[in-house]
Parts: sequence; structure tokens; C-alpha cells
Amino acid sequence: MNFGNQTPTIVVLKEGTDASQGRGQIISNINACMAVQETLKPTLGPLGSDILIVSSNQKTTISNDGATILKLLDVVHPAAKTLVDISRAQDAEVGDGTTSVTILAGEFMKEAKPFLEEGISPHIIIKGYRKAVQLAVSKIKELAVDITNNKEQNNRQLLERCAKTAMSSKLIHNNSDFFVKMVVDSVLSLDQDELDEKLIGIKKIPGGAMEESMFIDGVAFEKTFSYAGFEQQPKNFKNPKIVSLNIELELKAEKDNAEVRVEHVEDYQAIVDAEWQIILTKLEEIEKTGANIVLSKLPIGDLATQYFADRNIFCAGRVSSDDMNRVIQAVGGSVQSTTSDIQPEHLGTCETFEEIQIGSHRYNLFKGCPEAKTCTLLLRGGAEQVIAEVERSLHDAIMIVKRALQNKIVVAGGGAIEMEISKYLRDYSKTIAGKQQLIINAFAKALEIIPRQLCENAGFDGVELLNRLRMAHFQGEKWYGIDFETESIGDNYNKFVWEPALVKINALSSATEATNLILSIDETIKNKEGESPNAGMAPPPGRGRGLPM
Amino acid sequence: MAQPRTMDMPDLSNAIVAQDEMGRPFIIVRDQGNKQRQHGLEAKKSHILAARSVASIIKTSLGPRGLDKILISPDGEITITNDGATILSQMELENEVAKLLVQLSKSQDDEIGDGTTGVVVLASALLDQALELIEKGIHPIKIANGFDEAAKVAIRKLEGSTDDVALNKSEFHEYLFKAAKTSLGSKIVSKTHDKFANMAVDAVTAVMDEERKDVQFDLIKLEGRVGGSLEESSLINGVIIDKDFSHPQMPKQVLPKEGETGVKVAILTCPFEPPKPKTKHKLDISSVEEYQKLQNYEQDKFKEMIQYVKDSGADVVICQWGFDDEANHLLLQNKLPAVRWVGGQELELIAIATEGRIVPRFQDLSKEKLGTCKRVYEVEFGTTRDRMLVVEQGATNSKTVTCFIRGSNKMIVDEAKRALHDSLCVVRNLVKDSRVVYGGGAAEVTMSIAVSEEADRQKGIDQYAFRAFAQALDTIPMTLAENSGLDPIETLTTLKSKQIKEHTSVFGVDCLGKGSNNMKELFVVDPFIGKKQQILLATQLCRMILKIDNVIISGKDAY
Repeated sequence: MNFGNQTPTIVVLKEGTDASQGRGQIISNINACMAVQETLKPTLGPLGSDILIVSSNQKTTISNDGATILKLLDVVHPAAKTLVDISRAQDAEVGDGTTSVTILAGEFMKEAKPFLEEGISPHIIIKGYRKAVQLAVSKIKELAVDITNNKEQNNRQLLERCAKTAMSSKLIHNNSDFFVKMVVDSVLSLDQDELDEKLIGIKKIPGGAMEESMFIDGVAFEKTFSYAGFEQQPKNFKNPKIVSLNIELELKAEKDNAEVRVEHVEDYQAIVDAEWQIILTKLEEIEKTGANIVLSKLPIGDLATQYFADRNIFCAGRVSSDDMNRVIQAVGGSVQSTTSDIQPEHLGTCETFEEIQIGSHRYNLFKGCPEAKTCTLLLRGGAEQVIAEVERSLHDAIMIVKRALQNKIVVAGGGAIEMEISKYLRDYSKTIAGKQQLIINAFAKALEIIPRQLCENAGFDGVELLNRLRMAHFQGEKWYGIDFETESIGDNYNKFVWEPALVKINALSSATEATNLILSIDETIKNKEGESPNAGMAPPPGRGRGLPM
Repeated sequence: MAQPRTMDMPDLSNAIVAQDEMGRPFIIVRDQGNKQRQHGLEAKKSHILAARSVASIIKTSLGPRGLDKILISPDGEITITNDGATILSQMELENEVAKLLVQLSKSQDDEIGDGTTGVVVLASALLDQALELIEKGIHPIKIANGFDEAAKVAIRKLEGSTDDVALNKSEFHEYLFKAAKTSLGSKIVSKTHDKFANMAVDAVTAVMDEERKDVQFDLIKLEGRVGGSLEESSLINGVIIDKDFSHPQMPKQVLPKEGETGVKVAILTCPFEPPKPKTKHKLDISSVEEYQKLQNYEQDKFKEMIQYVKDSGADVVICQWGFDDEANHLLLQNKLPAVRWVGGQELELIAIATEGRIVPRFQDLSKEKLGTCKRVYEVEFGTTRDRMLVVEQGATNSKTVTCFIRGSNKMIVDEAKRALHDSLCVVRNLVKDSRVVYGGGAAEVTMSIAVSEEADRQKGIDQYAFRAFAQALDTIPMTLAENSGLDPIETLTTLKSKQIKEHTSVFGVDCLGKGSNNMKELFVVDPFIGKKQQILLATQLCRMILKIDNVIISGKDAY
């Protein structure tokens, strides 16, 4: 290959384009993915640690959520990016298991590497993996326990268990009893057919301990910007009538581009009065509806604020559209874009409304809403990062509960299901001949990474425990997994370490897909980066192309 | 297992090491050469060291004999304070973990308003203890779990040793006063702390909503002015604004008219000028008559406005907007003292204080909408010519108060404001939750005894964590003793034995050398929720820091 520097090079690609190909390329891609996997590994499991990331704009994030970490790592390697994508997809699809999916994908690739080095075509490996994942998924479905038939009360218990498992690896592990209730309450308060988790409002208020977080069966939002006169409004109502508007209640030019030509001085006053009349009519109409609380997405000016204060009406302008939506969902009624025809049915109501001080801010709370299809979680914590992490953890748990509600089949966590599938695939591989046997076996081995990593993060003897697990599964104890309390193994199904089967199925299939994708790439052509400010950081293009160092 | 050379690359900090089979370096993460990374024990150690150094800065400010710090901001402004949250927020720390501690003290400040130094000292003591355990080989998360359990025990004990002071209404006021005094003990105003404590208690009791136990801080205004001494600070039942009457010839003091109970105040949010439509408009003046008419119209308008005000019976006009000389003159002629350009918030406070309504239009002005106050007067300060306007509240039971602080220099005034804020918070907390624990480290000693007692009953690793937690709690009384010039170990041991012997939690460090350790007798009390919050926040932050074992910091661009 080395012709020295005299070789007349034939330029096919634009200068600066980076091209590499061949088996070396696949292996190099795998290495890149494994570097990413390595970063995530310590975060898995209940004794997994967190990662502190300071982004280039000096924002600090402390997290243990795989998807969040990968996003913030800012991975640029094209192959490694697939890992980021699958963890994001897992996040979007099921919301939890983002770390596991990345670790699994990395492990599948790692297992494939020796085969590649031995010269087995990537396609054979891909085929083997596909077969393996198919078998694994159908096995999960077969193993999973359906709990639909259980009674109503158990339904809640099931959800609580799933939520608890999802929280076990997070910062809020120790307060999980407290948060589990919150999460299940909030998911159950949603419309059970739609389960739109966006309707669960999460407000972060620095200060206070985590246990001071609150679940509100209604809506809460921070006091909006207010004009003089606001403090004279009543701040506490029982069964108020609430009107929600999308109107600016301010003395202002009606149309931006309008211009009035005043002929006589006398007309001048008339125009001024007319403008006043417009706003006054609006205010009067609102007052006539009998509403006690006026909310608007658009500003409510000082004039209106004082007008309402005079009449013992509470008002809040510039309510964000998210909050407004949830208010509507909670109190009923609908957003009005005119004041002229507000009927009683357009008004909402709730049991109590009050404005209270939380931390250093004041919050407006609407509690006890009749048609509540929404709820709000007020999260507290000692530092912003703490709350941010609590929010991510709750999001994961909410998603899990949501999935469990939709799809009531569960499997045992703590590495139990992985071990069982691993055993099943191992047994299966013995029944077939040819290279596929090796590959399915490799797949089975890769699955063991989950319990192994769990042990490693907890500081247990991984080899020992893994062997015991293998034995237990061989003896037919299909729900045996790592037990963190006793540093040994145990039946995780009876210990209620439950996870929705969907999470596992999705994690396995997307990890396998990502692996197959990367295995099938054998050439990367990368165009020279544009003139970005970071260009200086990249190694000089073309350096070492094809030349072993 | 011998791993291939290419496997040694999880270390992202060195791009050259990451090579593929062909020896080509490749990049996984953007700017990876600039990224710093630490992980494992090394990361934890550096975090704990960072926390320790932060704590050691503010440690000496703890307690009544704590010392102040002087902070000079980049533009040369000087702050002298011993308030933990203020010191930390002005230090502009770079380290990530140190920043977390800053936030910790800030959230204590937001929530409780006091104990900001203590919480940081406690958190760093916990981390210090955790480091020792980590070095013994205990898993950090297990330590954190143990700490959580220990915190629960501590808080349970603390809750058991509280005294509810709200049982007796008449004594309650007394207790508020004492608690306020405790919080002022360590501040610059300790010389005049009776006065300040009284100010704090009176201010809070004036504005509190007894039924809902809600105290709205917006209604307490802190106003400072350089000059005079701290003793001249006072609580004004009303509002002070940094404005004066619009015309120098207006009277300096407005007293109620004869036969009236109070001064009537008109509060306006409309300017003293001819109204303008908001819509873009144009008036073509084509003749002299038209022009004349316009001028008349404007003058009529002014007169009309003044007339409206007069008719309503107002004695003073407070206006959010300005008015020109012509209006000013007319106001003077009509004997209507006026104030212009009053900010929205102040206007609101005046409205609340005088129970008036803010009026957006002259036409709406009526007698009912006027506010009432005892008097409105200007105050002058020493030889300076600045003046401030005081709107003094009458007998009405409306609620706004202003704490007016004087001091010989700006630093003292600012520090006194912060001190007063702290004690306002303490009083508010007691109004919210009237349980108190004893200060001077007494509560910490009680908790420490309880936790170490409980330690022996724990199985496994928690035992270590419990003991470590108890030791961390001891840091507070020890630091207090140290700052007061006492022998820390001797003090602590005496306190502990005394508390155990007499089964009570009232013994604390006698910082001021009063000759007694009985905090109940010395009336050194802290609100229970403040202490509880300290323990919870410190433990949770500690958990967060212990959980981190991987730090990735994006490098800054090298120019």
C-alpha cells in the first residue's frame, strides 16, 4: 500500500473528504460505540452512580439517565451516534431503560467483534442476531405475567411496584415510597384512554427538601407578572368561577396599522372615550359572567387589574399556554377569545383556589377540580440540579406506569429476565448446527452483561453471583435475579421488582437493530466539515490516511 | 484477559489514544481533546475537597462570635457580611461541586431565610465523614443510604424535643422576640439587637394572616439610608418612598383637614396630561382658530382633571406618571400636594397601606376610592438635600410596614438589611410552625446522641454511616465553640454528658460567656422547621455528590 510520496494520487472525492472502509472500519466503529458504552456503564442499577456533565456553556447537569447523558456528551462519531439515537428512541417510546439499551447494544457489538476478526462475514452475524432477538422477544412474551385480571386494588399495587423498580436506580431511591404514590396518583388522574403525560405539569421550585414536593389534583403555576393593584385582589376562593381568556385586557391600539385622522378638536375627546369604552365594555362583560377568577394568556393591564381589584375578582395575565391548557383540563370550561358571548358553561370551577408562598415564589393553586384530567407535581430540592434529576426520574417512572397501564404484562427486573432469556437461547443454540450456533450463543452471553454490570456497580462479586444465577435458572427458577439487599440472588418476582415487558422487548429489539446497522456499515465517507469555529480542533484532514502509524 | 491495544480508550480526554485498527485516531465526542474527565474515587475525593474548602471559608462566620467577611466585587463594590448565602453567592466559585453548595445555601435562604452558614458546614462535614468511609472501601451509595436513615432518626428525635411556643398567646410574642434575637446574635447589629428584634416581630405580626399562617413578605419593605446610626433605625407603620413633592412650594407635611379623620390620598395611574388615543392619530390644524381651540381644549382638560381631584376631596395626589410644569403649577394653586413618578410596586403598597383604590382614570375618581392615612410628610436627612416621603398609616388595620434602617455607611446598612431579613424569616417561620428547638448547638448535640445510640442497633454498613452522621453533627457545636474561643472538644464532651445525664436537650454552647449552658434560660431558640430543613438539605446534597463518579467538563475554546 505504501508507495511513498511519489504516487500520483487519483482524486475522486473532494479534498478533505474522509473515507475509510473495510473490516477495519467496522471494528473501529464498534470500538467507538464501546467507548460510549463504557461511559454509561457505571450508571446502571440501584447502586449505579451519577455523571456530572458541564457543557460548554457552563451548565451543570448531574444525571443517571442514559438518554440525558448521551445527549449532553455531544457525540460526533457517526457510528457512536446510533447509540445516542437508540437511547433517545427508547426514551421517547417507553421512557425508561435508556441506559440498558445502550449497554446491551454495546455488548452485542463487543461479542460480534471476535467473529469479525476471525473473518466471519458481518451478514452471518446479523442474521444470527436477528434470529436470536426474535426468539428472545417471543420468549419474553411467553414468560411475562399478565395481571389484567386482578382486582382493582391490585391494579394500583402493580403500578406502584413498576414505578418503584424504575426509581430504584435514581437519586430518589430512598424516598421512593413517597414519590411512587405521587407518580401513580398523577398517572391515574389522567384520562385513562389517552394517557397524555404532557398533562402532568411538573413545576420545579428550588429550596425545601424532596419530601416537601407536593401532588396537586389540579393545577399550579407561578404567580404571573402583575400590575399595581394586584395585591388588593382577594387571593383565596372557595368554589370560584373561572373564566379563561385569550384576550389582551389593556387600553391599546385596536389595530396596529390603523391611523385616525381627527378633523376637529372636539372629535379628539370622542376618540379617547371610544377607546376607553372598548375596554370598559370588555371588563363589564367579564364581570357580568359572575366569574371570580379571570385568567388570560395575554397580558392583563393595570387598568383591568385595578378594575378587577375593585370588584373582588382575581386575575392573572400572561399565563403560559401549557398552564392554560391544563387549567382548562382541570377546571372545565374553555378558552374564550372574545368577551361578548360568555355562557355559564364556558366557566370552570374548582373546590379551592389560593395563592401561597412556596420557597421564594408565590404560586396560584387550583385544587380539587371536578373534571380533573390533569395534575401538577411541585418538586422541591436543595439545588437546581437535584430537582432537575428528580424531574427526569419522575418522568421515567411516569412513563413506566403509563406503559404498565396500557399493557398489563410484567417481567421481573434485576437481571432476572435477561438471565432467563440467556439460558433459553443457550439451550436453543445447542439444537442447531453451523455458525449460527456460535452467534446465538454470543447473543446469549451478551445478555448477561446486565446482571454482571449490576453486580459490578454494587461492588459485588460478579463472577460468583452470575454463576449462582446461571445455576438457579438451570434449575428452573425463572425469576431469579440479583438481590441488592442481601448481596446475593433471589426471586425478584416475589420481591416485586417488576418492569413492564414492553420496556424489555423494546430495549432488546432496538439494541439489536442498532448493532445490525453498525455491523453492516463498512465504509464511511465524511465530507470535510464546513468552516465551523471548532474546525481547528479536528485533526488535520487526511492525516494518516491509509498509512499505518 | 489480555485486551487488544485498541480497547484502552474509555478515557476520552486523550484523543490520540483512541485509534482504530489502522492506527488512525478518531473522534467520538465533540472537542474531546478539550474535555476534562475524572472518575471513580479520584472524582469523589476532589469533590469532597472542594466542599471542604468552601466550608472552611464560611466556617468562621458561624455563631454569635463569628466573624465577618469582606467581599470585593469585580467593579470594586464592597460587601461586608457574615451571611452564608451572601458570601457564597458573591464568591463566584468555579468548581461544580462548590456551586452546588452555593445553591444549597441559597435554597435554605429561600425557604427558611436563616441558617445558611450552618447548612453548608453540615454538608461539608457529612462529606468529610463519607470520605473516610469511602477510603475504607464502603460503597458511596450505601453510605448515602445510611445517612438518609440516620437523618430520619435525627429528625424524629428533634421533633420529639421541640417545644411548642404557641400554646400561650401572650408568651408567644415574647418567644418570637427571643427567636429573632437569636438569629441576630451573629450579625453586625447585635449591639442593637433588641431594637431590631422588636422591629422584626412587629413587622411580621403586622402583616401576617393569622388564619392561614401566611406571611406575605412583599408587604414588608426594607429601606435603608446612609447616615445616622443603627439606633435610629425604625419601623414605620406605612410606606416610605424615595420621592418628594413635585413642587418645592408645596407643604412639607400634610395633616388631616379639620373634621376629617385622616389625610385623603388619591392614587392615580393616569398622567396629568390631555388624554391621547392609543391608536395612531393625526390632527390636521389648518387655521389659527383650530389651533386656539386645541390649546383651550388642553387647558380645559387640565382644569377638569384638577376639578375631579378636588371634587373627590383628596388632600394628596400620588401619581404613577409625570406631569408637566403647567399641571404642577395648577396643582400648587389648588393646594393639592402631589408626588409624581411613583413606581408601580410602591404605588401598590401605598394603596394597600391607605386602603385606597388605584384609579386609572380621572372620571372614576370618587370619595370611596381615596385612601386614608394619618399624615404624609417629607423627611430630610442631616445636611444632605435628599428627601423621602413618608406615608404614615392611620388607625386602619391595613397592613404594610417599612423597616427604615440607618447606618453610618453603606456596608453597614446593607448588612443590617440582610440581618433584619434573616430575623424576619425566623419570625415568619415561627408563625408558620410554632415549634422551637434550642440553639447554640443544643439541637445538634441532641440529634448526635440519638443517632449514635441508634448506630449500635443497625445491621451492616449502616452502623458506620450512623456513626459518621453523628460525628458530622458534632461539627456544628464544635465550630461554635471554636469561634467563641472555647475549647471545642471539652465543650462538646461536657454538653453531651450533661444532656445525657439530665435527659434534656436544652444544653448548648455558651458562646457569649453568660456562664450558663442552659439555652432555655438564655432564650436561644431556633425554629424547628429551619433545623429540619438544614438536616434534610444537607443529607440530600451529600447523596447527590456521593453518587457522582464521573465528571465530564467541556473545555473552553482556547481563544
